[in-house]
Amino acid sequence: MFAPLQSDPVLLPETIARLLFGSEIAIWQEAVAGFLAAFLIANIMLANAGVAGPWAKRKITAAFTDRIAVNRIGPAGLLIIPAAAVQLMAKELIIPDGVDRPAYDLAPILLALSALLGFAVIPMGSIFGINLQMADPETGLAFVFAVASIATLALTMGGYASNNKYSLMGGLRAIAQNIAYEIPLIVTAASVVIFTGTLQTSEIVAQQSEPLVTIAGLTIPSWFAFVNPFAFVLFMVANLAEVGRNPFDIPEAPTEIVAGYMTEYSSIYFVLFYMGEFIHIFLGGAIVATVFLGGPAGPVLPGFIWFIIKIWAVFLFTQWARSAVPRVRIDQLIEIGWKGMLVLSFANLVLTAVIVGVML
Amino acid sequence: MSSYEEQLDTAEGVDYDAIADLLGDRVVRRETHLNAEGFVVRPDQVAESLTLLREEAGFDHLSMVTAQDYEDRYETIYHLTKYADRTHEVSVVVPTDPENPVSESAASVYKTANWHEREAYDLVGVEYDGHPDLRRILLPETWQGHPLSSDYDQDKPQIVQFDEHKNPLEDDHRGADSDTMFLNIGPHHPATHGVLHLKTVLDGEQVADVDPDIGYLHRCEEQMCQQGTYRHQIMPYPDRWDYASAGLLNEWAYARVAEDLNDIEVPEYAQIIRTMSAEFCRIAAHLLAVGTFALDIYGDFTAIFMYAMRDREKVQNILEDLTGQRMMFNYFRLGGVVWDLPEPREEWFENIRDFLDDLPGTLEEYHDLITTNEIFQTRVIGTGVLDPEDAKQFGTTGPVARASGIDYDIRRDDPYGYYDELDWNVVTEEGGDNYARFLVRMQEVEESAKIISQCVDLLEDWPEDERNIQSNVPRTLKPDPDTEVYRAVEGAKGELGIYIRSDGTDKPGRFKIRSPCFCNLSALNAMSKGEYVPDLVATLGSLDVILGEVDR
Repeated sequence: MFAPLQSDPVLLPETIARLLFGSEIAIWQEAVAGFLAAFLIANIMLANAGVAGPWAKRKITAAFTDRIAVNRIGPAGLLIIPAAAVQLMAKELIIPDGVDRPAYDLAPILLALSALLGFAVIPMGSIFGINLQMADPETGLAFVFAVASIATLALTMGGYASNNKYSLMGGLRAIAQNIAYEIPLIVTAASVVIFTGTLQTSEIVAQQSEPLVTIAGLTIPSWFAFVNPFAFVLFMVANLAEVGRNPFDIPEAPTEIVAGYMTEYSSIYFVLFYMGEFIHIFLGGAIVATVFLGGPAGPVLPGFIWFIIKIWAVFLFTQWARSAVPRVRIDQLIEIGWKGMLVLSFANLVLTAVIVGVML
Repeated sequence: MSSYEEQLDTAEGVDYDAIADLLGDRVVRRETHLNAEGFVVRPDQVAESLTLLREEAGFDHLSMVTAQDYEDRYETIYHLTKYADRTHEVSVVVPTDPENPVSESAASVYKTANWHEREAYDLVGVEYDGHPDLRRILLPETWQGHPLSSDYDQDKPQIVQFDEHKNPLEDDHRGADSDTMFLNIGPHHPATHGVLHLKTVLDGEQVADVDPDIGYLHRCEEQMCQQGTYRHQIMPYPDRWDYASAGLLNEWAYARVAEDLNDIEVPEYAQIIRTMSAEFCRIAAHLLAVGTFALDIYGDFTAIFMYAMRDREKVQNILEDLTGQRMMFNYFRLGGVVWDLPEPREEWFENIRDFLDDLPGTLEEYHDLITTNEIFQTRVIGTGVLDPEDAKQFGTTGPVARASGIDYDIRRDDPYGYYDELDWNVVTEEGGDNYARFLVRMQEVEESAKIISQCVDLLEDWPEDERNIQSNVPRTLKPDPDTEVYRAVEGAKGELGIYIRSDGTDKPGRFKIRSPCFCNLSALNAMSKGEYVPDLVATLGSLDVILGEVDR
């Protein structure tokens, strides 16, 4: 049986199970429904990444840099998406000599997997009355951060197993960067948890639905981005490092170490890495949306649409940073992480704890 | 300045008799070159003669080393001049025995001689005693023979067995016992600005040693020029040295040296056109340098690179209207330029004015985006530092030297064209770091715009019946045999010089190019040792090398 529901909306696997098998659900039927739900969510996110990678990223970057980008195939160049899919999958998969085989193959799969796993507990809102959340454990937020940090392992594995010095440097940089920035990231998120008193994602979202203040008839909800803007800024910065975009795209740094951990990957492995990165950016966006931007909340449109808009807004932000901000050096990155971000995030945590303890 | 040095400087320039006294009995014979006197010294007294000239007479700039072979001897010429006064020149000529061409190396006196002598050894075959690292520099290590020496058989195929080729990966385990890692950066790498191979030894992420391996783009430019006639056949080649928009500046290098050699006057009107169009090239080249440097700092997709390309495009359009070409202009001719300004002139001037009016705003945008960006500043300030002493030792010139506080610009110090009639400034910065080099280029764009603006004023008011674009130049030019001349102009990257020795025919007997990028690149090791890999890349970007010019 399903775990007892903590909140009213029915979770996605149960919706599917009821649709397929009625109200009496056996354990295997539960498993099938869970699998189908995961399949659906994964495909939604893959579709997002599919639009983002070959098309939206180019269009956005082009807009930032005074160019036009893809516009020949299909309306606004949209058919570049299937074209790129076919082209990338048809490429030869080149496996260099001396790679550490199982690790080399596992790395791209693990990267995509870790990013997709995170979406299991994200409340993605509902559309047509169907709640798109997969699971809602009490440890939701901790789970997201835990699986997202598996990505570091994937990058390191790929970098180490490739038998290439550039890859190795990229992998080492990835470890250094992720350790330095995940702590501030999680500590900053913890400051929100102090407000909510729970790690459960649906509850965090629910607590942001109260109106914070009404100015001239306009109600501002109590999103934590408004309640604690300092934490929000810190989180956005740490998130840029977490997903490896300027000014923190150190593990890839094409003009320095060619493509970092990705250097020796081609064809479908490359696609997995590439897709994995984009899904990671979207997962970062999903965490930002859940923790700071009221999750799927928003007026008029269905919650799911708002959720998609919010994660794309974060994606846009990363692309903006990429076009406009220089990359810091590896030692500067570590310095900013350990001496700046970490201190600020703990200061934020303590301050929040004091305020919450005294006022609430 | 030592007292002796003051004594050697007279109002007219260098007192060569005093230099002869200084060198004493080391001087075997004196020669007269068109640009300076040459002092012939014995092959085993090179270093001490050069040391005397550098320490006592102030010749701190070894501009170029030319090697050539005559029927009875090999000869190395050290072209010396001063950073303080470019018009003071002296040549040290070192003849060697044709059977055993060995002379003493100058690398202990001038660090720049290291690479110059390697090139001389590679192409001509003179060996330098006491040289720290006498390897081939442009050609592969397996090459047989020295292509510019007279006993070289051009028809003999260079068959080198595959297993004789050195596998660059073999060196992979250099220092396997130590904590360092050997890394090949290039020849194919996103940040090498062409085909450059940096043999890098890393200690963690820090650069322990870097050895630039050049020659991938060697196209025998010197030899091709030696096979072309002075009048028309050589002029297209310079466009292909520094091909990143600096074409006209390169053409001027040849025009200047050939006009001096053949005693050709250039009409004033043509000089103004030359000055203006050359400065357009400088703007285009500097904009490209700024854009690609930003690329090295920012990553692969950056707004500033596209903005720089957008503005460079405007310059390209203006030059296209003038010359009919966008990169390989071939617009200068000996004695002037090939044709007059495009008609309707008013419209073309209008285009230029529009560009010049927009430029301050554009540069302001660049400064907003990059110069004042704090992350950019933390990346470039204090990295890739080239101190003035090293800058002189490595023979750096152009924006690289000026960013190290060396006030040296041939346009002002050894005037040519119309520069000395115009009002403009030489830009210098004191930092010597990546930031300073970037700033110098940005400010030089402004100075070039100032020059162009004045040229346009002059050209607009030029009487219609005096628009003389070319002087009368004979169909065939045959300078007197064994006339030697070395002349330089201020190219986009620095001092671009050419040495020509005539042999009585209508083609040069020896044509030697002094590439500013070649000398600037040789300073890379000194600049980037101990820095992080990202700074090595940034430093390379700030040197703004064009491999076509490095390798020739």
